[in-house]
Amino acid sequence: MPETPASIRIAAAGCVTPFGNASATHAALLRGECALHALPVRGREGGDAVPLALLPGRDLDETAPPSWMAAVGALVEGLPSGDWGTPSRPVFVTGSNFGVGGLYALRRTGDPAFGVWGAPPTCTEELRRALGWGPNVSILSLACVSAHLGLLEATRLIHAGLAEEALVLSFDFLSPFVTGGFHALKILNSGFPAPYREGATGAIGLGDGAAYAVLSRDRGDWRLEGQSVFNEMHHFTSNRADGSGFSKCLDSVAGSTRGRKVWFKGHGTGTLDAGRMELDAAAKAFPEAPVVGWKGSLGHTLGSCGLVEMAVAIESIRTGSAPGTIGAGGAAMGPGVALAHFPTGPFDGVVCASNAFGGAHACLLLSHA
Amino acid sequence: MLERHIQLLVTDDAGTEAPAATRDRLKVNFPAGATRRMTTLGLLVGSTLAPLEPSEDNPIVYASGYAESCALEAFLDSFPAPSPTLFQTSIHPSAVQQFMIGRQSPVREFLPLSGSTLLAFHAVRACMLSPAPRVILCGGEEKGTWLLQHGLASDRTFAFAASLGKGRADTSLGRIVIEASDGDAALGLPAFFDMLHKRTPFDGLVAPGWRLILEWR
Repeated sequence: MPETPASIRIAAAGCVTPFGNASATHAALLRGECALHALPVRGREGGDAVPLALLPGRDLDETAPPSWMAAVGALVEGLPSGDWGTPSRPVFVTGSNFGVGGLYALRRTGDPAFGVWGAPPTCTEELRRALGWGPNVSILSLACVSAHLGLLEATRLIHAGLAEEALVLSFDFLSPFVTGGFHALKILNSGFPAPYREGATGAIGLGDGAAYAVLSRDRGDWRLEGQSVFNEMHHFTSNRADGSGFSKCLDSVAGSTRGRKVWFKGHGTGTLDAGRMELDAAAKAFPEAPVVGWKGSLGHTLGSCGLVEMAVAIESIRTGSAPGTIGAGGAAMGPGVALAHFPTGPFDGVVCASNAFGGAHACLLLSHA
Repeated sequence: MLERHIQLLVTDDAGTEAPAATRDRLKVNFPAGATRRMTTLGLLVGSTLAPLEPSEDNPIVYASGYAESCALEAFLDSFPAPSPTLFQTSIHPSAVQQFMIGRQSPVREFLPLSGSTLLAFHAVRACMLSPAPRVILCGGEEKGTWLLQHGLASDRTFAFAASLGKGRADTSLGRIVIEASDGDAALGLPAFFDMLHKRTPFDGLVAPGWRLILEWR
């Protein structure tokens, strides 16, 4: 039987994308702006132009220390102050890349200064020191559902009475390592992503992103009421053709939404088959829910997308307006796809979903406390 | 105090064995032709997981600090024409996925952890926090080559998998407990693996404010 933890409060949340913080990102999405630009897939070494969304002033090529550190530092400046990294206030760092661009730079240049940022344990240790956290920092990494796992573990720790509050921080910044990899898989190509739209070929864009959430048993304006995960273990890069993996994940949260009106913030990278399967599963689990996807603007922020887009969803509810699906064009795959922004007032909450390599699925139900 | 009982345990210490010899030794555990694209860590983790027969409702907690070091090295060396296969297999939890995808065996909950001196504690804690009656705790490392020279890969190759239940049974191999305690210490994954591999009893601090008790029958 699927297990979903009892509800937990979100005391604070924020994100950074190429548009800026959560408020600026939300406003840009409402205006229908696109952060993606056609850039060489291997940075200064060239290659095909592919859609990438980098933080302003940041190059794809790695620096030492990484150019993204300033953005992470600025993001966590907005955190409630506290003794993060202690047993009562643990930190969960999640992501799919950490500083893996440092390994690419290390191999290309031989400069060991890049290396220390390259592996999850060493990168996180550098980050921990720089941010002045204590040692109680856990690392979770499951490709593009990583952030959801951090939320799940933090929730369990608080409910077990082993922590007062927990910080979940997720970050993924692009480098030739990851852009080269997705380009080799041919899903990152010259086309711009058009989530939930019909087209001859699918395409994704990739984006820089980082986000945090402070979870608390009883403090905060927002509530996570259901969290669900499921791993198909069918194929490394594709899902079961019957879409059952999507349904098994979403159905676990559907029970929490009975009698309530929700909207659905989907994963929606811009690939065709996954988009259709996700829409079909969402329509069955949440029949009246309008579906939106924001990766056509922000790009796919990889292991951090769950937390980045949750921060934007919070901003949507706070301001009363959810951005519609942004993409490169084409007819919507179904009537449930919301292409224009809509008011969130009539809704009781939003289901936020993410998917990953290995047929990993995750979703959560977010509502106002 | 949080407690689980060790129902089954499989360990594999490759020691000084050459990677090719490890692969040759383990390939009999997999269908013919399935091992060509598997990593050494995938073969090791898969071989330890297989006897435990994880089912869909058994959460898998996977601990590896550096994970697919050799696939990472090879992927980086494949530029400027990066290999899609090596990109897939270089992601952190690919060792478990290689085995589970090979078996077409879905699992509801998969929690892959990384880390260094607190990794063993965090993995055990994740098992304790799971509401499931049976949790699979597994992990491992593979020895790197040029990444190891930079301190960015493991210097050992090993893997383990344990089935952890909530209730004690006559067939239980032992008991694992974590409890709050004053003091500060750390326990890396290799040291934790050695305790499992040699069935070494332990009672001591493993993280700030936490002690681990490992008892064997």
